[in-house]
Amino acid sequence: MKSAPNAAQRVVMITGTRAEAVEKLEKARGELQALGRATEGEMVVLARTFEALTSSTDAVLDLAATIVSSVENEAVCSALPKVRTLGAAAKRFVGEKVQATHGILETVTQEVHLLYELSVVSRSQRAIALQTRALSVLTNMEVARLGDAGTGFRYLAQELADFATSVTKDIQELADHTEARRAAIEETRQVLSTELPHLQDELARIESGLESALTVVDSSLTQLLTMPVQFKKSVQDIAQQIAGVVAAVQAHDITRQQIEHVEGALAAISSRLSGEGNSQEGIAQELPRAYAGLTIQIHQGRTIRQTVSSWVSQIRTCMDAIRRISASEVVGIAPAVLEQEQHISSHLSRIELLESESRAYSEKLQQSLGGLSHLMQLVTEHLQRTKSVRERLQLLAFNSIIEASRLGVQAAAVLAIAKRIEAISTSWSQITDQSACTMQEMLKLAEQTNQVMEAFSERSNQRLREAQLETRGGLDSLRSAAAFAAGQAEKMKLATEKMQAKIVKAGSTGDLLDACSGRFDLVLAEMEAVHRQLEIDDPQVKQRYDAAEIERLFSASYTTATEREVLQAALHGTPPPVVQQSFEGNSVELF
Amino acid sequence: MGRQRNSHNGGTTANMKRILTVDDSSSVRQMVSFTLRKAGYEVAEAVDGKDGLGKISGGKFDLIITDLNMPNVDGIQLISAVRKLPGCNFVPILMLTTESQAEKKDAGRKAGATGWIVKPFNADQLIAAVQKLVK
Repeated sequence: MKSAPNAAQRVVMITGTRAEAVEKLEKARGELQALGRATEGEMVVLARTFEALTSSTDAVLDLAATIVSSVENEAVCSALPKVRTLGAAAKRFVGEKVQATHGILETVTQEVHLLYELSVVSRSQRAIALQTRALSVLTNMEVARLGDAGTGFRYLAQELADFATSVTKDIQELADHTEARRAAIEETRQVLSTELPHLQDELARIESGLESALTVVDSSLTQLLTMPVQFKKSVQDIAQQIAGVVAAVQAHDITRQQIEHVEGALAAISSRLSGEGNSQEGIAQELPRAYAGLTIQIHQGRTIRQTVSSWVSQIRTCMDAIRRISASEVVGIAPAVLEQEQHISSHLSRIELLESESRAYSEKLQQSLGGLSHLMQLVTEHLQRTKSVRERLQLLAFNSIIEASRLGVQAAAVLAIAKRIEAISTSWSQITDQSACTMQEMLKLAEQTNQVMEAFSERSNQRLREAQLETRGGLDSLRSAAAFAAGQAEKMKLATEKMQAKIVKAGSTGDLLDACSGRFDLVLAEMEAVHRQLEIDDPQVKQRYDAAEIERLFSASYTTATEREVLQAALHGTPPPVVQQSFEGNSVELF
Repeated sequence: MGRQRNSHNGGTTANMKRILTVDDSSSVRQMVSFTLRKAGYEVAEAVDGKDGLGKISGGKFDLIITDLNMPNVDGIQLISAVRKLPGCNFVPILMLTTESQAEKKDAGRKAGATGWIVKPFNADQLIAAVQKLVK
C-alpha cells in the first residue's frame, strides 16, 4: 500500500507538475477572458438583432391589428345573420313556388273539368237551338195553312228562327273559346309538369346547398369573428416570448460576471501555485488551498455551463415561438378574410340566378293563367244572353198559347207548337241554372288561381330581393375588409420576410453561442485535468485545507446567491443549487 | 410584456419621461432601454457610475436605474453622489443588480435607493414599477 508523501516529498512532486498546472490554469484563464469578450460581442449582436426582430414583429402585429379591426367592423359582424336571413328567404321563395305550382296544377285540373261541363251545357243548348229551328219551320207551315187567321203566328216563326240562329252563333263562339282555352290549359299543364320537378330539384338543391353553404359560412364567419380574440392571444404570447428573451439576455450578464469571478479565482490560484517569493514549505502549504480553490471553480464552471445552456435554449425557444406565432395566426388573417368573402359571394350569386330564372317562369305562368279571366268574361256574357233567351221563350210560349186558344180547333197544331216552346223554355231554364252553377265554380277557381299566383307575384320576389340587398350590404363590408386584407397582405409578407431574416440571424448568433459553450467545456476539462493531477500528486490534499479560510479567500468577489450556494456545495458537500431552466425575471422591491 | 406605444406616456418626445440606465454590461443596458422605450419612455445609457454621474449632472432625468457592481464609481457611490446634487433628492433610483443579500439592500436603501431588482428583471413588473414612480 502506497503511503502518503511527507512535506519534503510533496515539494519535490509539485515542483514537477506545478509549472505545468500554472501554465494550464493561465491558459484556461486566458481562454475564459477571450470567451467572455466573444460572448459579450455575440450578445450585443443578438440584442440588436432581437430589437430589430421585435420591430419587424411590431410591424406584422400592427398590420394584423388593422385587418382585425376591419373584421371587427359591426357590418362584417352582422354578415352572418344577414346571410342566414337570405338563406331562409331563398328557401321560402322556392318553397312557395313549389307549393303554388302544386296548387296551379290542381286548378288546371278543375278547369279541365269545368270546361267539360261547359261543353255539356253547350251541347244541350245546341240541341235546343235545332229543335227551335224545327219549330220555326213547323210554325211557318201552319201560318201558310191557316191563311189570314194565322198571320199572328208569323212573328212567332221569325222569333224562333232568330233565336235558333243567335243561340247557334253564341254556342259556336263559346265552343271556339273553350277549345282555345283547353289548348292553353294543356300548354300550362305541360309547363307545370316540366317545371315542377325542376322546381322541386331546385328546392332540394337549395336546401342542401344552403345548409352546407350556411354551415361553411357560419363556421368561417365564426372563425373570422374569433380572429380578434386569437390576435389578442398572439399579441400576449409574443409579448411573453419577448419578455423571455429579455430575461435570458440578462441571465447572460449574470453568467458573464460569474465567469469573471472564476477567471479572477484562477489568477489567484496560479499566483499561489507559482509561489514567487514563497519558500518551498510555503508552496507546499499553498497546494491544498489551490486544490480547494480549483474544486470551487470547477463547481462554479459546471453550474455556469448549465445556466448558459438554459438561457441560450430559452432565447432559441422564444425566438422560434415568435416566428411561429407571427407566421401562423396573425399572417393567416388576410387569406382567411378573402376566403370568407368568396364563399358568401358565390352563395349570393346562386340566389341571384335563381331569382332571375324564377321571374321568367312566373311570367310564363301568369300569361297562361291569365286566359282564365278572358274565358270567365265570355261565359258571363253567354250566361246573360242565355237568361234573356229564357225570358223571351217564356213570353213567346205564353202569347202563342193565348192566340192559339182564341182561334180554337183550327190552331190546334200551333197550340201544340206553343206548348213545345213552353217545354223548351223550361229545359232552357234548367240549362241556364246549370250554366250559372258552372259560372260560380269558375269564379271560385279564378279566386283560387289568384291566391296561388300570389307566390309568383312581384311582392313575393320583392321579399327575396330585400334579403339579397341586405346581404349585399353586409357583403360589401366584408368585401372591403377582404380588399383591405388583400392590400395589406403584401406589406404583411414583406414584414414577415424581414422578421424571418432576423430570426435566421439570431439563429446564427445562437450557433456561435453554442460554439462558445463548446470552448467553455474545453476550459472546464482543462481545469478538471489539473485538479485530477493535484489529487494524483498528493492523495491527501483534499483533507489538508481549512474550509473557513478558503471560503473567506474565494467568496469575497461573489455577487450572486448561486455562487455562494455552489461554494458551500463544493466545500461542505451541501446540495448544489438547482440550475434555473427558465428565466421569467424578478419583481421590483420598492423601499 | 404589454404592447404599449409612445402615446402611453404622452406620445411626443417633448413630454416623454426620461430615464437613465447605468450598467457596465451593454446587453443589460440594451434590454432596459428596449423594454422602457417600447413602453413609451425616452432612455439614456451610461456605462458606469462615473459616466452616469456626468450625465445626471448635465441633464434632468425622471428616474435612474443603476447596477451595483461597476468599475470606477459603483452603484452605491453613484446614489450617494446623486442625492447630493441639487434637485436630485427625490429622483427615484432603482438598483438592478445580481446581488440579493439583505445587507447590500440595506446599504442601497441607506444610500437613497428607491427600490431593488435582482437581475434578471421581469419586463412587465419593471414597467409597472416605473409607471408607479414616474407620473
